[in-house]
Amino acid sequence: MILLQSPSRFLLQTLSNRVQNLEKGVELDCNSVEFDDVRYHIQVSMRYPQFVLLSMSLPTPPPETVFIGGLPYGAIDAIKAAYGVLVQILDPPRDGFNLTMKFNLSKLPPDEEQRQAILVKIASVREVVLGAPIRLILKHLASRTVAPNVDRLVALVHRPMESFFLVPQAEKVTVVLPMRFKDSIDTVLATSFLQEFVAARRTTGLNNAPPCSWSPSPPLELKGAPAQALSVNAGFVTFVIFPRHVEGKKLDRTVWSLSTFRAYVSYHVKCSEGFMHTRMRRRVESLILALDRAKPDVEKSRKAANSRSFKRLSLKGNPG
Amino acid sequence: MDAAASRPAVVIDNGTGYTKMGFAGNVEPCFILPTVVAVNESFANQSRNSVKGSNWQAQHSAGVMADLDFFIGDEAIARSRSSTTYNLSYPIRHGQVEDWDAMERFWQQCIFNYLRCDPEDHYFLFTESPLTAPESREYTGEIMFETFNVPGLYIAVQPVLALAAGYTTSKCEMTGVVVDVGDGATHVVPVADGYVIGSSIKSIPIAGKDVTLFIQQLMRERGEHVPPEDSFEIARKVKEMYCYTCSDIVKEYNKHDREPSKYIKQWRGTKPKTGAPYSCDIGYERFLGPEIFFNPEIYNSDFSTPLPAIIDKCIQSSPIDTRRALYKNIVLSGGSTMFKDFNRRLQRDLKKIVDARVIASDARLGGELKSQPVEVNVVSHPIQRFAVWFGGSVLASTPEFYAACHTKAEYEEYGASICRTNPVFKGMC
Repeated sequence: MILLQSPSRFLLQTLSNRVQNLEKGVELDCNSVEFDDVRYHIQVSMRYPQFVLLSMSLPTPPPETVFIGGLPYGAIDAIKAAYGVLVQILDPPRDGFNLTMKFNLSKLPPDEEQRQAILVKIASVREVVLGAPIRLILKHLASRTVAPNVDRLVALVHRPMESFFLVPQAEKVTVVLPMRFKDSIDTVLATSFLQEFVAARRTTGLNNAPPCSWSPSPPLELKGAPAQALSVNAGFVTFVIFPRHVEGKKLDRTVWSLSTFRAYVSYHVKCSEGFMHTRMRRRVESLILALDRAKPDVEKSRKAANSRSFKRLSLKGNPG
Repeated sequence: MDAAASRPAVVIDNGTGYTKMGFAGNVEPCFILPTVVAVNESFANQSRNSVKGSNWQAQHSAGVMADLDFFIGDEAIARSRSSTTYNLSYPIRHGQVEDWDAMERFWQQCIFNYLRCDPEDHYFLFTESPLTAPESREYTGEIMFETFNVPGLYIAVQPVLALAAGYTTSKCEMTGVVVDVGDGATHVVPVADGYVIGSSIKSIPIAGKDVTLFIQQLMRERGEHVPPEDSFEIARKVKEMYCYTCSDIVKEYNKHDREPSKYIKQWRGTKPKTGAPYSCDIGYERFLGPEIFFNPEIYNSDFSTPLPAIIDKCIQSSPIDTRRALYKNIVLSGGSTMFKDFNRRLQRDLKKIVDARVIASDARLGGELKSQPVEVNVVSHPIQRFAVWFGGSVLASTPEFYAACHTKAEYEEYGASICRTNPVFKGMC
């Protein structure tokens, strides 16, 4: 797996299970936590097996981001647009969650393929809700306009108390992601990973990819951002998104990749560490093998010597 | 209390056959996957053989690809079947981790692809068999703290968790014998007040996989038309869907012969190579499969002690003051105890052994002293299949769990040796 997938496996599996045994009433009450502190709670009651209550809690937003009623800007509209008649948003949401939705599974399309597509869409609820503001801005970019009433610098939450920044313009959108890591080794690996990442962008074959750059100090676009948002230990990554990157179906993928870029880097840092450990283990094994190869000879010769001396003692005679 | 402790802990129970994983506090694990990794070996060999090659970039990307080009669980099995580039590797054998590289990759996918959580955000609870060496716990600790940077780790003993699983349904009882029949290993483990009595653990060389092999052998010998490359998988499915425990083999044979239409099932499938449909009968193996636990000589000529006798031996070798409590609480765990009426057969056979001993001792004493009858109770509960996981989920949702964990700070201070011991904590009794 190279890229993180948008639909949550857990939600998809639970929903498909539900849909396959729709007439069977099953009590279901399950919690799950995803990266960046997104939590899900899924509940089905015995009496109404066709209704699935899905609650979602989002990472705590830092002060510079705009949250309306506990949700990112445009999230409610995005949910309605994505799920249509299937969904009903409950107000107030479940205690401790930002959003509770009630899905009516009996309204799913009868066609197998369409139904699967809808289920995948429900499982990608994270992309719909958290990606709503960035999707709005990129949609305007596709039509080469700037959305009215947006600031010069838009801050969007992607981790608890951490945000990334967008500079929307008519011809391009600049995305700046501050990178922070807890562990010192992770920080070093992430820094070199990002430098490699930028270098890899320059190779031929990736000419159409969004230009990206990495810098240890805040880029000029972030002028005016609050100071605590600029304290990082793994630098800043900047992507420039052009209209060609958000045409048609590419929009969904761009939204997902940008809003989960930090998780992507973190995943690959962990993979590299795992890979290094594999190499280190292999090296240790080969060294132990070399040591072992050296050992038996010593033991064998000593044993031979011992047995001879033992023999000599027991026979009480001189050998020769 | 740090932020990670406010999130539910991740509970992963790695079994020989299946891995159960999920979040603490839930009733069911989020995912149950076969413990298997499909690795693309072609890349790895290439990059190792041509270290001195000129095209560093191709090599580099081959290395990167090999690093990430693998699958786990059901996906792995599907991949290895559809193409020849993937080799299956089973990281756990007989309850012990054998291949740490594959295990690390397996965990990596569990965490990032299946549970999709950030390992830095959660405490982790792992399980291990009672016979695991401390070195293996150190290895686990090393991988979890170094690679995944988990904030806290606890490695629990599987039978203790299986006992803990029962404690919410009835009362809190941490003394009992756990009969853990997994896919690769069968252990009979006495536990007193949450502590495993290590010297009395008994293992038998018959486990779920042997049931599958035995069914496969029976079907092959009867000449059922099963494609050879699929026969193991089909035997496994037959075991999971149709097998049951009978009370008496001879009676069961008679029943089958009298009403074959009622007892003999049909299996339908398509051949993987040609796609042609086929069907075969499932007959005596339905009750003969589980029978190998009670009459092992029908399967293996080297080993002939039935499971109830092993349990009795295990309890008799335990400290004398725990024996009554142990007989009273015999807990089943593991997927291979799911056969219908397995617990009743076990209880009946065990009761027979115990009663015979009581009568013998009464006779020896000449009727002067009447001994109190020994209560034998085999407990079975609906979540038996992942009892260990459920026990882990229960324990990891208690506040004491976070105090009992080894933390990252401790690991950095003292090293991997701290993972050798994992204290029994208050929530357990």
